[in-house]
Amino acid sequence: MIRYESQKVAYPYLALSLILFPLQVIAGLWLAINYGFTLPQGLVDVFSFATARAIHTNTLVAWLLLGFMGGTYFVLPLMTKGEIFSTRIAYAQLVIFALTAVVAVIGFLFGWTQGKPLLEIPVPLDFLIVVAALLFVFNVAVTVFKAKERSVIEWMLLGGITFLSLLYLFGIPFYRNLNTDYYYWWWVIHLWVEGAWELITASIIAFVIIEVTGVDRKVVEKWLYVETGLFLFTGITGTGHHYYWIGSPDYWLWWGGIFSALEPLPIALMVLDTWMHIKERKNPIVNLLQWKYIIGCAIFHFLGAGIWGFIHTLPPINYYTHGSQVTVSHGHLAFFGAYALLNLTVFYYALPQLKNIRKFDDKWGVYGFWTMIVSMVFMGIVFGVAGILQTYLERILDIGYMTAHMTMMFWFRVVLFFGVIFLIGVLTTVYHLFTLKEAKE
Amino acid sequence: MTGKTAKTIFWVGTLVSTVIFLWLTYDFHQQERKFVKAEISPDVIEGKKIWHKYNCNDCHTILGFGGYYAPDMTKAYYRLGENNIIAIVTNPDQVYKNSFRKMPRLGVTKEEATKLVAFLKWVGSIENRNWPPQDEKFVRAFKLREAGAKQISTVDMVMGTCGGCHSFQKQGRRIAGDFVEIARTITFDRDTLAKFILNPQAVKAGSAMPSQNVSPETASQIADFILSLKPGKEVQK
Repeated sequence: MIRYESQKVAYPYLALSLILFPLQVIAGLWLAINYGFTLPQGLVDVFSFATARAIHTNTLVAWLLLGFMGGTYFVLPLMTKGEIFSTRIAYAQLVIFALTAVVAVIGFLFGWTQGKPLLEIPVPLDFLIVVAALLFVFNVAVTVFKAKERSVIEWMLLGGITFLSLLYLFGIPFYRNLNTDYYYWWWVIHLWVEGAWELITASIIAFVIIEVTGVDRKVVEKWLYVETGLFLFTGITGTGHHYYWIGSPDYWLWWGGIFSALEPLPIALMVLDTWMHIKERKNPIVNLLQWKYIIGCAIFHFLGAGIWGFIHTLPPINYYTHGSQVTVSHGHLAFFGAYALLNLTVFYYALPQLKNIRKFDDKWGVYGFWTMIVSMVFMGIVFGVAGILQTYLERILDIGYMTAHMTMMFWFRVVLFFGVIFLIGVLTTVYHLFTLKEAKE
Repeated sequence: MTGKTAKTIFWVGTLVSTVIFLWLTYDFHQQERKFVKAEISPDVIEGKKIWHKYNCNDCHTILGFGGYYAPDMTKAYYRLGENNIIAIVTNPDQVYKNSFRKMPRLGVTKEEATKLVAFLKWVGSIENRNWPPQDEKFVRAFKLREAGAKQISTVDMVMGTCGGCHSFQKQGRRIAGDFVEIARTITFDRDTLAKFILNPQAVKAGSAMPSQNVSPETASQIADFILSLKPGKEVQK
């Protein structure tokens, strides 16, 4: 049922992404075990928390980016009403990206890292990533420029991936000054998740909404302009909420605080417009699960990234909660809500078409959806409780990090419990996506 | 709302924020020396490379960023002092023998550890609005100690030196025991204890405690303090 032959190139991207997702979660469970139990010295020596964390976060970024890239290749022909410029480039890009990821993870196991959190991939491999990113931007750009029809959605998507690739460069150099190092580290981390990635999410979701609900393209595009405008307006200067405690002028407390306080606004608009488009739908609901994912993504995005982020980034609160498990709680809810659910929405939109299925049997998919949603909500709550407790013990009662962290052992066993349930939800969903079948009428 | 208004909102919002952000970035670099006053010596740069080499930042936070699995390192120099940092990174298995959480043996050499200390000392000098809050007491104690030991209470002085591993009245870290318990079981006299503080191996071979980089006078003052906690003989029994 795919309309363009070159859309098929999306499949290996989505498949690889789906394989990495459970691996990321398994690495996460191992981190929870590190917190919850005392491990023998010999084991810690050969496989440290740091290595496991690098694997957990890098597989996250890898499966999200693979999903974005695969999703882009799937929707681009539909948007531009033409084939992708070059499927060869698309495959080459995938091979380079995937091989780099594999070499990076093996390297981590042997201590080969750049030593920067979340950007552990060593510099030589960074260049391979840059090559893959250039191929991607080039391929998408040429496709868009050659298209007969172009709309704002394609431009946003192209803008998002170009912005994403450019920002990656700021994480590569060695900075002598730690304070400058972290200033630009946030250009990658913050401007990715609260800038470039939001552009990609907003445009892909806008397109999926048009396709699934059948609402007027013009209306969706108007919303898209306003939302991305607000995302970038609040998000770019909002980077300042990471600069409170790095050694920076006082005005960052104001610029960072005020702009990040406005950050939930575009996400709230996103929830509102998703809701309105669904209410005013012109198409019948064929696959209810797709709609569940669209709504789930909007609501979870708003709660995890918007509300949780808002509370945590006000300077007087952040003074106490910065660098504690509160950030972990926010990080999990935000990444799951905004990006993991976006990818899964794309998978549920694209994979049935790639497999030529109109209406799929969604029984296991629904189980997977709710298992993931509920267990992630609980994980977020437990991380949050642990974080507030840690902050209170360590920074208000002043009883020392290690003593405060002894209480973490209990809470991380609880996290481990919900994490195992989450993994079950993930495996169910991945299994369902790989084995989609036509529904019996 | 028309499509044109929407488009205007996008461009105005994006450009205004970009301009503000780039201007603040320019200003940030202009003002940098106000917040980072200490010289970035070659040792500091070497130390930073070592910090990256062993991926310390994926367990420890620094400036609050990184892994939350181990304590923040921003003000570690004040909290632990040079000797304790070297002892910990070169012998984590010894230092955390009885701890519920372990630090991996990374194979850091003594020379690398010294450079790491230079880096951490430099990081500690960044003016970052007194973050993290829990380490401010160590920074204050260190600065008072530097200004002259007479001005500070004995407890501050002792905890500023020994608080990296020992605890007293909820201060410090419980790695090598609380001073009240140590005082109860100690058999050294004042001079032996002072010698022990300066060079533990010379008094008791195999001791896990690292040599303390303090003057003999300070060592004697610490010895006095510990011995003063010794409970008196229970004559009434």
